[in-house]
Amino acid sequence: MSESPREYGLAVAAIALCTGACFALFRFLTLTDVVMVYLVGILAVALRGGRGPALFASLLGVAAFDFFFVPPRFTLHVERPQYLVTFAVMFGVALLISHLAVRVRLQAEAAKSAELKAETERLRSSLLSAVSHELRTPLAAIIGSASALLAEPPGGGPARRELLENVRDEGERLARLVHNLIETTRLESGASLKKEPYPIEDVIGTALARVDKLLAGRPVESDLPDNLPVVPVDPVLMELVFVNLLENAARHAPEGPLDIMARERMDALEISVSDRGPGLKPEDLDRVFEKFYRASAAPGAGLGLAIAKAVVEAHGGTIRAENRPGGGASFRLTLPRGERR
Amino acid sequence: MTAKTVLVVDDERAIQRFLRASLEENGFAVIDASTGNAALDLAVSRKPDVVLLDLTLPDMDGLDVLKRLREWSSAPVIVVSARGEESDKIAGLDRGADDYLIKPFGVEELLARIRVALRHAERAARDPEPVYEHGDLKIDLGARRVWLARKEVRLSPLQYTLLAALVRQAGRVVPQKQLLKELWPEGGSTPEALRILVHQTRHRIEREPVRPRHLKTEPAVGYRLESPDE
Repeated sequence: MSESPREYGLAVAAIALCTGACFALFRFLTLTDVVMVYLVGILAVALRGGRGPALFASLLGVAAFDFFFVPPRFTLHVERPQYLVTFAVMFGVALLISHLAVRVRLQAEAAKSAELKAETERLRSSLLSAVSHELRTPLAAIIGSASALLAEPPGGGPARRELLENVRDEGERLARLVHNLIETTRLESGASLKKEPYPIEDVIGTALARVDKLLAGRPVESDLPDNLPVVPVDPVLMELVFVNLLENAARHAPEGPLDIMARERMDALEISVSDRGPGLKPEDLDRVFEKFYRASAAPGAGLGLAIAKAVVEAHGGTIRAENRPGGGASFRLTLPRGERR
Repeated sequence: MTAKTVLVVDDERAIQRFLRASLEENGFAVIDASTGNAALDLAVSRKPDVVLLDLTLPDMDGLDVLKRLREWSSAPVIVVSARGEESDKIAGLDRGADDYLIKPFGVEELLARIRVALRHAERAARDPEPVYEHGDLKIDLGARRVWLARKEVRLSPLQYTLLAALVRQAGRVVPQKQLLKELWPEGGSTPEALRILVHQTRHRIEREPVRPRHLKTEPAVGYRLESPDE
Protein backbone atom coordinates (compact mmCIF):
# COMPACT_ATOMS: atom_id res chain seq x y z
CA MET A 1 0.00 0.00 0.00
CA SER A 2 1.47 3.35 -1.00
CA GLU A 3 1.27 6.26 1.38
CA SER A 4 2.29 8.89 -1.11
CA PRO A 5 2.00 12.67 -0.63
CA ARG A 6 -1.20 12.32 -2.67
CA GLU A 7 -2.87 10.43 0.14
CA TYR A 8 -1.81 13.11 2.63
CA GLY A 9 -3.15 15.76 0.23
CA LEU A 10 -6.39 13.80 0.18
CA ALA A 11 -6.48 13.94 3.99
CA VAL A 12 -6.08 17.74 3.92
CA ALA A 13 -8.76 18.03 1.20
CA ALA A 14 -11.21 15.81 3.10
CA ILE A 15 -10.84 17.79 6.33
CA ALA A 16 -11.12 21.08 4.41
CA LEU A 17 -14.31 19.79 2.75
CA CYS A 18 -15.80 18.77 6.12
CA THR A 19 -14.86 22.12 7.59
CA GLY A 20 -16.43 23.98 4.65
CA ALA A 21 -19.65 21.95 4.84
CA CYS A 22 -20.00 22.46 8.61
CA PHE A 23 -19.16 26.11 8.26
CA ALA A 24 -21.96 26.60 5.72
CA LEU A 25 -24.47 24.64 7.80
CA PHE A 26 -23.25 25.72 11.22
CA ARG A 27 -26.53 27.41 12.03
CA PHE A 28 -28.38 24.09 11.82
CA LEU A 29 -25.76 21.95 13.50
CA THR A 30 -24.82 21.18 17.08
CA LEU A 31 -21.16 20.56 17.96
CA THR A 32 -21.87 16.79 18.13
CA ASP A 33 -23.08 16.84 14.50
CA VAL A 34 -19.86 18.61 13.49
CA VAL A 35 -17.82 15.84 15.16
CA MET A 36 -19.82 13.24 13.17
CA VAL A 37 -19.11 15.02 9.88
CA TYR A 38 -15.36 15.00 10.63
CA LEU A 39 -15.49 11.31 11.50
CA VAL A 40 -17.08 10.55 8.11
CA GLY A 41 -14.25 12.47 6.43
CA ILE A 42 -11.62 10.52 8.40
CA LEU A 43 -13.31 7.21 7.51
CA ALA A 44 -13.15 8.16 3.81
CA VAL A 45 -9.43 8.93 4.11
CA ALA A 46 -8.77 5.64 5.92
CA LEU A 47 -10.56 3.68 3.20
CA ARG A 48 -8.60 5.32 0.38
CA GLY A 49 -5.22 6.04 1.97
CA GLY A 50 -3.56 4.08 4.73
CA ARG A 51 -2.74 4.24 8.39
CA GLY A 52 -0.49 7.30 8.06
CA PRO A 53 -2.93 9.55 6.15
CA ALA A 54 -5.79 8.41 8.45
CA LEU A 55 -3.80 9.35 11.57
CA PHE A 56 -2.89 12.66 9.93
CA ALA A 57 -6.55 13.32 9.05
CA SER A 58 -7.58 12.52 12.66
CA LEU A 59 -5.12 15.08 14.10
CA LEU A 60 -6.07 17.64 11.48
CA GLY A 61 -9.78 17.03 12.08
CA VAL A 62 -9.49 17.57 15.85
CA ALA A 63 -7.44 20.73 15.27
CA ALA A 64 -9.89 22.12 12.70
CA PHE A 65 -12.84 21.31 14.95
CA ASP A 66 -11.20 23.19 17.80
CA PHE A 67 -10.13 26.15 15.70
CA PHE A 68 -13.31 26.71 13.68
CA PHE A 69 -16.16 25.56 15.89
CA VAL A 70 -15.27 25.22 19.58
CA PRO A 71 -15.86 28.49 21.43
CA PRO A 72 -14.03 30.77 21.49
CA ARG A 73 -14.07 30.26 17.71
CA PHE A 74 -11.06 30.95 15.45
CA THR A 75 -8.56 30.29 18.21
CA LEU A 76 -6.99 27.10 19.46
CA HIS A 77 -7.82 28.29 22.95
CA VAL A 78 -10.37 26.16 24.81
CA GLU A 79 -12.92 27.83 27.05
CA ARG A 80 -14.21 24.90 29.05
CA PRO A 81 -12.10 21.90 30.12
CA GLN A 82 -14.80 19.34 29.11
CA TYR A 83 -14.00 20.14 25.46
CA LEU A 84 -10.63 18.49 26.06
CA VAL A 85 -12.58 15.29 26.79
CA THR A 86 -14.54 15.80 23.56
CA PHE A 87 -11.25 16.11 21.63
CA ALA A 88 -9.86 12.98 23.24
CA VAL A 89 -13.01 10.95 22.47
CA MET A 90 -13.15 12.33 18.92
CA PHE A 91 -9.49 11.48 18.36
CA GLY A 92 -9.93 8.02 19.89
CA VAL A 93 -12.97 7.21 17.76
CA ALA A 94 -11.17 8.55 14.68
CA LEU A 95 -8.20 6.26 15.33
CA LEU A 96 -10.46 3.27 15.92
CA ILE A 97 -12.49 3.65 12.74
CA SER A 98 -9.40 4.31 10.65
CA HIS A 99 -7.75 1.21 12.10
CA LEU A 100 -10.83 -0.90 11.30
CA ALA A 101 -11.19 0.61 7.85
CA VAL A 102 -7.55 -0.08 6.99
CA ARG A 103 -7.92 -3.66 8.18
CA VAL A 104 -11.04 -4.22 6.10
CA ARG A 105 -9.21 -2.81 3.09
CA LEU A 106 -6.16 -5.03 3.62
CA GLN A 107 -8.37 -8.09 3.95
CA ALA A 108 -10.19 -7.22 0.75
CA GLU A 109 -6.87 -6.79 -1.03
CA ALA A 110 -5.54 -10.10 0.31
CA ALA A 111 -8.70 -11.88 -0.84
CA LYS A 112 -8.32 -10.33 -4.26
CA SER A 113 -4.69 -11.37 -4.62
CA ALA A 114 -5.50 -14.92 -3.43
CA GLU A 115 -8.23 -15.03 -6.04
CA LEU A 116 -5.78 -13.85 -8.68
CA LYS A 117 -3.25 -16.48 -7.62
CA ALA A 118 -5.88 -19.23 -7.75
CA GLU A 119 -6.94 -18.00 -11.18
CA THR A 120 -3.32 -18.09 -12.43
CA GLU A 121 -2.92 -21.59 -11.02
CA ARG A 122 -6.12 -22.73 -12.75
CA LEU A 123 -5.02 -21.24 -16.04
CA ARG A 124 -1.57 -22.80 -15.85
CA SER A 125 -2.97 -26.16 -14.93
CA SER A 126 -5.51 -26.15 -17.77
CA LEU A 127 -2.82 -25.04 -20.23
CA LEU A 128 -0.52 -27.84 -19.11
CA SER A 129 -3.24 -30.44 -19.36
CA ALA A 130 -4.12 -29.21 -22.85
CA VAL A 131 -0.47 -29.50 -23.94
CA SER A 132 -0.25 -32.88 -22.27
CA HIS A 133 -3.36 -34.00 -24.15
CA GLU A 134 -2.02 -32.78 -27.50
CA LEU A 135 1.30 -34.59 -27.04
CA ARG A 136 -0.05 -37.78 -25.56
CA THR A 137 -2.82 -38.40 -28.06
CA PRO A 138 -0.57 -39.11 -31.07
CA LEU A 139 1.75 -41.12 -28.82
CA ALA A 140 -1.24 -43.16 -27.68
CA ALA A 141 -2.13 -43.95 -31.30
CA ILE A 142 1.49 -44.94 -32.11
CA ILE A 143 2.05 -47.07 -29.01
CA GLY A 144 -1.43 -48.59 -29.18
CA SER A 145 -1.13 -49.50 -32.86
CA ALA A 146 2.32 -51.02 -32.40
CA SER A 147 1.16 -53.03 -29.39
CA ALA A 148 -1.90 -54.24 -31.35
CA LEU A 149 0.33 -55.46 -34.19
CA LEU A 150 2.62 -57.16 -31.67
CA ALA A 151 -0.35 -58.93 -30.09
CA GLU A 152 -1.38 -60.48 -33.43
CA PRO A 153 -0.08 -63.89 -34.41
CA PRO A 154 3.50 -63.46 -35.59
CA GLY A 155 4.09 -63.09 -39.31
CA GLY A 156 6.74 -61.56 -41.53
CA GLY A 157 9.74 -62.90 -39.65
CA PRO A 158 11.66 -61.84 -36.56
CA ALA A 159 12.88 -58.56 -38.06
CA ARG A 160 9.30 -57.28 -38.31
CA ARG A 161 8.67 -58.08 -34.68
CA GLU A 162 11.87 -56.37 -33.61
CA LEU A 163 10.97 -53.25 -35.58
CA LEU A 164 7.52 -53.17 -34.04
CA GLU A 165 9.02 -53.51 -30.58
CA ASN A 166 11.26 -50.60 -31.52
CA VAL A 167 8.26 -48.45 -32.42
CA ARG A 168 6.46 -49.34 -29.19
CA ASP A 169 9.45 -49.03 -26.84
CA GLU A 170 10.66 -45.74 -28.27
CA GLY A 171 7.10 -44.41 -28.24
CA GLU A 172 6.95 -45.27 -24.56
CA ARG A 173 10.30 -43.58 -24.00
CA LEU A 174 8.99 -40.47 -25.69
CA ALA A 175 5.88 -40.64 -23.49
CA ARG A 176 8.09 -40.73 -20.39
CA LEU A 177 10.03 -37.75 -21.72
CA VAL A 178 6.81 -35.81 -22.29
CA HIS A 179 5.70 -36.68 -18.77
CA ASN A 180 9.04 -35.43 -17.40
CA LEU A 181 8.84 -32.21 -19.41
CA ILE A 182 5.32 -31.48 -18.25
CA GLU A 183 6.10 -32.18 -14.62
CA THR A 184 9.27 -30.04 -14.82
CA THR A 185 7.25 -27.18 -16.22
CA ARG A 186 4.62 -27.59 -13.55
CA LEU A 187 7.25 -27.56 -10.83
CA GLU A 188 9.23 -24.64 -12.27
CA SER A 189 6.14 -22.49 -12.69
CA GLY A 190 5.66 -22.74 -8.97
CA ALA A 191 2.79 -25.22 -8.67
CA SER A 192 2.43 -26.46 -5.11
CA LEU A 193 3.23 -30.03 -4.08
CA LYS A 194 0.37 -32.25 -2.95
CA LYS A 195 2.22 -33.73 0.00
CA GLU A 196 0.71 -36.50 2.10
CA PRO A 197 2.31 -39.00 4.44
CA TYR A 198 3.18 -42.19 2.51
CA PRO A 199 5.06 -45.37 3.29
CA ILE A 200 8.02 -44.96 0.90
CA GLU A 201 7.76 -48.64 -0.01
CA ASP A 202 4.40 -47.91 -1.64
CA VAL A 203 5.85 -45.12 -3.79
CA ILE A 204 8.89 -47.19 -4.79
CA GLY A 205 6.50 -50.05 -5.59
CA THR A 206 4.43 -48.03 -8.06
CA ALA A 207 7.64 -46.75 -9.68
CA LEU A 208 8.92 -50.32 -10.05
CA ALA A 209 5.61 -51.36 -11.63
CA ARG A 210 5.89 -48.46 -14.06
CA VAL A 211 9.38 -49.48 -15.28
CA ASP A 212 8.67 -53.21 -15.20
CA LYS A 213 8.85 -53.59 -18.99
CA LEU A 214 11.94 -51.40 -19.20
CA LEU A 215 13.77 -53.51 -16.63
CA ALA A 216 12.89 -56.62 -18.63
CA GLY A 217 13.45 -59.08 -15.83
CA ARG A 218 16.57 -57.39 -14.39
CA PRO A 219 16.87 -58.40 -10.76
CA VAL A 220 16.04 -55.63 -8.31
CA GLU A 221 17.22 -56.19 -4.78
CA SER A 222 15.38 -54.12 -2.25
CA ASP A 223 16.35 -53.60 1.34
CA LEU A 224 13.53 -51.71 3.03
CA PRO A 225 13.05 -52.29 6.77
CA ASP A 226 9.45 -53.10 7.81
CA ASN A 227 9.19 -50.30 10.31
CA LEU A 228 10.24 -47.29 8.22
CA PRO A 229 8.31 -44.15 9.16
CA VAL A 230 5.92 -42.57 6.66
CA VAL A 231 7.23 -39.46 4.90
CA PRO A 232 5.26 -36.52 3.52
CA VAL A 233 5.60 -36.70 -0.28
CA ASP A 234 3.73 -35.80 -3.42
CA PRO A 235 3.13 -39.38 -4.59
CA VAL A 236 2.99 -38.60 -8.31
CA LEU A 237 6.19 -36.55 -8.34
CA MET A 238 8.07 -38.85 -5.99
CA GLU A 239 7.14 -41.84 -8.14
CA LEU A 240 8.67 -39.92 -11.05
CA VAL A 241 11.93 -39.54 -9.08
CA PHE A 242 12.25 -43.30 -8.64
CA VAL A 243 11.14 -44.03 -12.22
CA ASN A 244 13.89 -41.70 -13.45
CA LEU A 245 16.56 -43.12 -11.15
CA LEU A 246 15.65 -46.68 -12.14
CA GLU A 247 15.50 -45.82 -15.84
CA ASN A 248 18.87 -44.10 -15.56
CA ALA A 249 20.40 -47.09 -13.79
CA ALA A 250 18.93 -49.54 -16.29
CA ARG A 251 20.29 -47.55 -19.20
CA HIS A 252 23.79 -46.85 -17.89
CA ALA A 253 24.38 -50.21 -16.29
CA PRO A 254 23.16 -52.75 -18.81
CA GLU A 255 23.93 -55.70 -16.55
CA GLY A 256 23.83 -56.74 -12.94
CA PRO A 257 21.23 -56.21 -10.27
CA LEU A 258 19.81 -52.86 -9.20
CA ASP A 259 19.75 -52.16 -5.48
CA ILE A 260 17.21 -50.08 -3.60
CA MET A 261 17.89 -49.38 0.03
CA ALA A 262 16.18 -47.21 2.60
CA ARG A 263 17.26 -46.29 6.13
CA GLU A 264 15.80 -44.18 8.87
CA ARG A 265 18.08 -41.29 9.88
CA MET A 266 17.69 -38.75 12.67
CA ASP A 267 14.94 -36.66 11.12
CA ALA A 268 15.01 -37.92 7.56
CA LEU A 269 14.65 -40.99 5.42
CA GLU A 270 17.65 -41.92 3.30
CA ILE A 271 17.03 -43.89 0.13
CA SER A 272 19.53 -45.05 -2.44
CA VAL A 273 19.18 -46.50 -5.92
CA SER A 274 22.40 -48.15 -7.08
CA ASP A 275 23.70 -50.21 -9.97
CA ARG A 276 26.72 -52.37 -10.77
CA GLY A 277 27.60 -50.60 -14.01
CA PRO A 278 30.70 -48.64 -14.97
CA GLY A 279 29.96 -45.85 -12.46
CA LEU A 280 30.50 -42.15 -12.99
CA LYS A 281 33.64 -40.17 -13.77
CA PRO A 282 34.62 -37.89 -10.89
CA GLU A 283 33.92 -34.78 -12.98
CA ASP A 284 30.41 -36.04 -13.73
CA LEU A 285 29.33 -36.62 -10.13
CA ASP A 286 28.02 -33.09 -9.66
CA ARG A 287 27.08 -32.36 -13.23
CA VAL A 288 24.76 -35.32 -13.89
CA PHE A 289 21.89 -33.37 -12.33
CA GLU A 290 22.20 -30.51 -14.81
CA LYS A 291 19.41 -30.30 -17.33
CA PHE A 292 20.36 -31.95 -20.64
CA TYR A 293 23.82 -32.78 -19.37
CA ARG A 294 25.00 -36.15 -20.61
CA ALA A 295 27.51 -38.10 -18.64
CA SER A 296 30.47 -38.45 -20.93
CA ALA A 297 30.57 -42.23 -20.64
CA ALA A 298 27.07 -43.09 -21.79
CA PRO A 299 24.22 -41.95 -24.04
CA GLY A 300 20.86 -40.52 -23.04
CA ALA A 301 19.47 -37.02 -22.63
CA GLY A 302 19.78 -35.82 -19.07
CA LEU A 303 16.37 -34.61 -18.10
CA GLY A 304 15.42 -37.45 -15.77
CA LEU A 305 18.08 -36.74 -13.16
CA ALA A 306 17.48 -32.99 -13.36
CA ILE A 307 13.82 -33.39 -12.51
CA ALA A 308 14.65 -35.96 -9.82
CA LYS A 309 16.82 -33.32 -8.16
CA ALA A 310 14.20 -30.60 -8.60
CA VAL A 311 11.48 -32.77 -7.04
CA VAL A 312 13.62 -33.94 -4.13
CA GLU A 313 14.68 -30.36 -3.39
CA ALA A 314 11.08 -29.15 -3.60
CA HIS A 315 10.42 -31.67 -0.81
CA GLY A 316 13.20 -30.10 1.26
CA GLY A 317 15.51 -33.03 0.66
CA THR A 318 18.90 -33.58 -0.95
CA ILE A 319 20.24 -35.89 -3.65
CA ARG A 320 23.77 -36.75 -4.67
CA ALA A 321 25.57 -39.15 -6.92
CA GLU A 322 28.53 -41.25 -5.85
CA ASN A 323 30.52 -44.26 -6.96
CA ARG A 324 30.13 -47.47 -5.01
CA PRO A 325 33.11 -49.31 -3.67
CA GLY A 326 33.48 -52.29 -5.98
CA GLY A 327 32.04 -50.47 -8.99
CA GLY A 328 28.74 -48.94 -9.99
CA ALA A 329 26.91 -45.69 -9.45
CA SER A 330 24.70 -44.85 -6.51
CA PHE A 331 22.12 -42.10 -6.16
CA ARG A 332 21.41 -41.27 -2.56
CA LEU A 333 18.54 -39.05 -1.54
CA THR A 334 17.19 -37.86 1.77
CA LEU A 335 13.63 -36.80 2.52
CA PRO A 336 12.76 -34.90 5.70
CA ARG A 337 10.22 -36.68 7.87
CA GLY A 338 8.22 -33.55 8.53
CA GLU A 339 6.67 -32.64 11.83
CA ARG A 340 5.97 -35.46 14.28
CA ARG A 341 2.42 -35.92 15.44
CA MET B 1 -22.42 -66.48 -28.06
CA THR B 2 -22.91 -63.20 -29.86
CA ALA B 3 -20.05 -60.74 -29.93
CA LYS B 4 -20.01 -58.14 -27.16
CA THR B 5 -20.45 -54.60 -28.38
CA VAL B 6 -18.02 -51.86 -27.40
CA LEU B 7 -18.98 -48.21 -27.85
CA VAL B 8 -15.81 -46.20 -28.49
CA VAL B 9 -16.24 -42.48 -27.76
CA ASP B 10 -13.21 -40.52 -28.99
CA ASP B 11 -12.84 -37.64 -31.40
CA GLU B 12 -9.34 -38.60 -32.57
CA ARG B 13 -9.41 -40.57 -35.81
CA ALA B 14 -6.05 -42.25 -35.11
CA ILE B 15 -7.22 -43.51 -31.71
CA GLN B 16 -10.54 -44.72 -33.14
CA ARG B 17 -8.72 -46.67 -35.83
CA PHE B 18 -6.39 -48.32 -33.34
CA LEU B 19 -9.23 -49.21 -30.97
CA ARG B 20 -11.53 -50.51 -33.70
CA ALA B 21 -8.79 -52.66 -35.26
CA SER B 22 -7.60 -54.19 -32.02
CA LEU B 23 -11.06 -54.77 -30.55
CA GLU B 24 -12.42 -56.38 -33.73
CA GLU B 25 -9.31 -58.54 -33.92
CA ASN B 26 -10.24 -59.80 -30.46
CA GLY B 27 -13.84 -60.66 -31.24
CA PHE B 28 -15.69 -57.52 -30.17
CA ALA B 29 -18.21 -55.61 -32.26
CA VAL B 30 -17.31 -51.91 -32.34
CA ILE B 31 -19.48 -48.85 -32.77
CA ASP B 32 -17.94 -45.42 -32.52
CA ALA B 33 -18.94 -41.87 -31.75
CA SER B 34 -16.82 -38.75 -31.94
CA THR B 35 -19.09 -36.44 -29.95
CA GLY B 36 -20.83 -36.69 -26.60
CA ASN B 37 -24.28 -36.31 -28.11
CA ALA B 38 -23.68 -39.02 -30.71
CA ALA B 39 -22.40 -41.24 -27.91
CA LEU B 40 -25.55 -40.75 -25.85
CA ASP B 41 -27.75 -41.47 -28.91
CA LEU B 42 -25.84 -44.67 -29.71
CA ALA B 43 -25.92 -45.77 -26.09
CA VAL B 44 -29.74 -45.58 -26.25
CA SER B 45 -30.22 -47.18 -29.65
CA ARG B 46 -27.52 -49.86 -29.58
CA LYS B 47 -27.21 -50.70 -25.88
CA PRO B 48 -23.45 -51.45 -25.89
CA ASP B 49 -21.99 -53.92 -23.38
CA VAL B 50 -19.03 -51.66 -22.59
CA VAL B 51 -18.32 -47.98 -23.18
CA LEU B 52 -14.81 -46.59 -23.69
CA LEU B 53 -15.21 -42.89 -22.99
CA ASP B 54 -12.59 -40.25 -23.75
CA LEU B 55 -12.93 -37.23 -21.47
CA THR B 56 -11.94 -34.62 -24.06
CA LEU B 57 -14.78 -34.31 -26.57
CA PRO B 58 -15.59 -31.46 -28.94
CA ASP B 59 -19.17 -30.80 -27.83
CA MET B 60 -19.28 -31.56 -24.10
CA ASP B 61 -17.17 -32.68 -21.16
CA GLY B 62 -16.77 -36.45 -21.03
CA LEU B 63 -17.67 -36.36 -17.33
CA ASP B 64 -21.08 -34.92 -18.24
CA VAL B 65 -21.61 -37.67 -20.80
CA LEU B 66 -20.85 -40.15 -18.03
CA LYS B 67 -23.28 -38.49 -15.65
CA ARG B 68 -26.12 -38.51 -18.19
CA LEU B 69 -25.37 -42.08 -19.20
CA ARG B 70 -25.48 -43.20 -15.59
CA GLU B 71 -28.98 -41.75 -15.17
CA TRP B 72 -30.39 -44.78 -16.96
CA SER B 73 -27.61 -47.20 -17.92
CA SER B 74 -25.51 -49.52 -15.80
CA ALA B 75 -23.28 -50.68 -18.67
CA PRO B 76 -19.63 -50.63 -17.58
CA VAL B 77 -17.82 -47.43 -18.57
CA ILE B 78 -14.04 -47.21 -18.84
CA VAL B 79 -12.83 -43.64 -18.85
CA VAL B 80 -9.92 -42.94 -21.19
CA SER B 81 -7.94 -39.78 -20.73
CA ALA B 82 -4.78 -38.18 -22.07
CA ARG B 83 -4.81 -35.36 -19.57
CA GLY B 84 -3.18 -37.57 -16.97
CA GLU B 85 -4.59 -35.66 -14.03
CA GLU B 86 -5.33 -37.59 -10.85
CA SER B 87 -8.40 -35.44 -10.29
CA ASP B 88 -9.85 -36.65 -13.63
CA LYS B 89 -9.55 -40.27 -12.57
CA ILE B 90 -11.18 -39.65 -9.21
CA ALA B 91 -13.96 -37.55 -10.75
CA GLY B 92 -14.63 -40.31 -13.31
CA LEU B 93 -14.86 -43.03 -10.67
CA ASP B 94 -17.02 -40.77 -8.48
CA ARG B 95 -19.53 -40.36 -11.29
CA GLY B 96 -19.89 -44.06 -11.84
CA ALA B 97 -17.07 -45.08 -14.18
CA ASP B 98 -15.90 -48.66 -13.60
CA ASP B 99 -12.26 -48.05 -14.42
CA TYR B 100 -9.90 -45.77 -16.27
CA LEU B 101 -7.04 -45.97 -18.72
CA ILE B 102 -4.45 -43.27 -19.21
CA LYS B 103 -3.18 -42.68 -22.72
CA PRO B 104 -0.86 -44.04 -23.90
CA PHE B 105 -1.78 -47.65 -23.13
CA GLY B 106 -1.09 -50.98 -24.80
CA VAL B 107 -3.67 -53.33 -26.24
CA GLU B 108 -3.13 -55.99 -23.55
CA GLU B 109 -3.99 -53.46 -20.85
CA LEU B 110 -7.09 -52.38 -22.76
CA LEU B 111 -8.36 -55.94 -23.23
CA ALA B 112 -7.69 -56.82 -19.60
CA ARG B 113 -9.72 -53.84 -18.38
CA ILE B 114 -12.61 -54.61 -20.73
CA ARG B 115 -12.73 -58.25 -19.62
CA VAL B 116 -12.75 -57.29 -15.95
CA ALA B 117 -15.52 -54.75 -16.53
CA LEU B 118 -17.64 -57.29 -18.45
CA ARG B 119 -17.10 -60.03 -15.89
CA HIS B 120 -17.98 -57.69 -13.09
CA ALA B 121 -21.16 -56.56 -14.82
CA GLU B 122 -22.22 -60.19 -15.27
CA ARG B 123 -21.33 -61.19 -11.77
CA ALA B 124 -23.20 -58.26 -10.25
CA ALA B 125 -26.37 -60.06 -11.27
CA ARG B 126 -25.32 -63.29 -9.53
CA ASP B 127 -23.78 -63.93 -6.14
CA PRO B 128 -20.10 -63.09 -5.80
CA GLU B 129 -17.62 -65.92 -6.09
CA PRO B 130 -16.88 -67.03 -2.54
CA VAL B 131 -13.28 -68.05 -3.25
CA TYR B 132 -10.66 -65.77 -4.80
CA GLU B 133 -7.46 -67.22 -6.19
CA HIS B 134 -4.63 -65.34 -7.84
CA GLY B 135 -1.21 -66.94 -8.11
CA ASP B 136 -0.14 -68.08 -4.66
CA LEU B 137 -2.88 -66.12 -2.86
CA LYS B 138 -6.21 -67.67 -1.88
CA ILE B 139 -9.01 -65.89 -0.04
CA ASP B 140 -12.17 -67.72 1.12
CA LEU B 141 -14.85 -65.17 1.89
CA GLY B 142 -17.23 -67.81 3.24
CA ALA B 143 -14.74 -69.20 5.75
CA ARG B 144 -13.02 -65.82 6.31
CA ARG B 145 -9.61 -67.43 5.77
CA VAL B 146 -6.57 -66.45 3.71
CA TRP B 147 -3.68 -68.58 2.43
CA LEU B 148 -0.36 -67.61 0.88
CA ALA B 149 1.37 -70.49 -0.93
CA ARG B 150 -0.92 -72.99 0.87
CA LYS B 151 0.08 -71.64 4.26
CA GLU B 152 -2.67 -69.96 6.21
CA VAL B 153 -2.07 -66.26 6.88
CA ARG B 154 -3.11 -64.62 10.15
CA LEU B 155 -4.71 -61.25 9.56
CA SER B 156 -6.17 -58.66 11.87
CA PRO B 157 -9.95 -58.12 11.43
CA LEU B 158 -9.29 -54.80 9.69
CA GLN B 159 -6.72 -56.33 7.32
CA TYR B 160 -9.26 -59.03 6.45
CA THR B 161 -12.02 -56.47 5.90
CA LEU B 162 -9.73 -54.60 3.49
CA LEU B 163 -9.02 -57.76 1.50
CA ALA B 164 -12.70 -58.76 1.44
CA ALA B 165 -13.68 -55.30 0.14
CA LEU B 166 -11.07 -55.59 -2.61
CA VAL B 167 -12.05 -59.19 -3.51
CA ARG B 168 -15.63 -58.09 -4.12
CA GLN B 169 -14.27 -55.60 -6.69
CA ALA B 170 -11.41 -57.81 -7.88
CA GLY B 171 -9.66 -56.46 -10.96
CA ARG B 172 -11.12 -53.02 -10.54
CA VAL B 173 -9.64 -49.97 -8.93
CA VAL B 174 -11.36 -49.19 -5.63
CA PRO B 175 -11.10 -45.51 -4.73
CA GLN B 176 -9.50 -44.59 -1.44
CA LYS B 177 -12.66 -42.73 -0.36
CA GLN B 178 -14.79 -45.84 -0.82
CA LEU B 179 -12.38 -48.01 1.18
CA LEU B 180 -12.30 -45.48 4.01
CA LYS B 181 -16.09 -45.61 4.15
CA GLU B 182 -16.22 -49.40 4.11
CA LEU B 183 -13.47 -49.95 6.67
CA TRP B 184 -14.38 -47.17 9.07
CA PRO B 185 -18.13 -46.67 8.56
CA GLU B 186 -18.40 -44.38 11.57
CA GLY B 187 -15.63 -42.18 10.16
CA GLY B 188 -12.71 -40.87 12.15
CA SER B 189 -9.99 -42.35 9.99
CA THR B 190 -7.51 -40.86 7.55
CA PRO B 191 -6.00 -41.76 4.17
CA GLU B 192 -2.73 -42.16 6.04
CA ALA B 193 -4.23 -44.89 8.26
CA LEU B 194 -5.50 -46.66 5.12
CA ARG B 195 -2.06 -46.49 3.48
CA ILE B 196 -0.46 -47.97 6.58
CA LEU B 197 -3.11 -50.71 6.70
CA VAL B 198 -2.41 -51.58 3.05
CA HIS B 199 1.32 -51.57 3.78
CA GLN B 200 0.88 -53.99 6.70
CA THR B 201 -1.50 -56.22 4.75
CA ARG B 202 1.02 -56.41 1.90
CA HIS B 203 3.65 -57.63 4.32
CA ARG B 204 1.32 -60.56 5.11
CA ILE B 205 0.12 -61.52 1.64
CA GLU B 206 2.96 -60.55 -0.71
CA ARG B 207 6.23 -62.40 -1.08
CA GLU B 208 7.97 -59.19 -2.10
CA PRO B 209 5.91 -56.29 -0.67
CA VAL B 210 7.79 -53.62 -2.64
CA ARG B 211 6.83 -55.39 -5.88
CA PRO B 212 3.28 -56.50 -5.06
CA ARG B 213 1.75 -59.09 -7.37
CA HIS B 214 -1.75 -59.07 -5.90
CA LEU B 215 -2.52 -55.81 -4.14
CA LYS B 216 -1.54 -52.92 -6.40
CA THR B 217 -1.54 -49.19 -5.68
CA GLU B 218 -3.15 -46.81 -8.15
CA PRO B 219 -1.19 -43.67 -7.23
CA ALA B 220 -3.30 -40.92 -5.66
CA VAL B 221 -6.53 -42.80 -6.55
CA GLY B 222 -6.91 -46.07 -4.69
CA TYR B 223 -6.04 -49.77 -4.77
CA ARG B 224 -6.61 -52.71 -7.07
CA LEU B 225 -6.58 -56.41 -6.28
CA GLU B 226 -5.62 -58.27 -9.47
CA SER B 227 -8.47 -60.19 -11.12
CA PRO B 228 -8.68 -63.84 -10.11
CA ASP B 229 -7.12 -66.59 -12.21
CA GLU B 230 -9.42 -67.96 -14.87
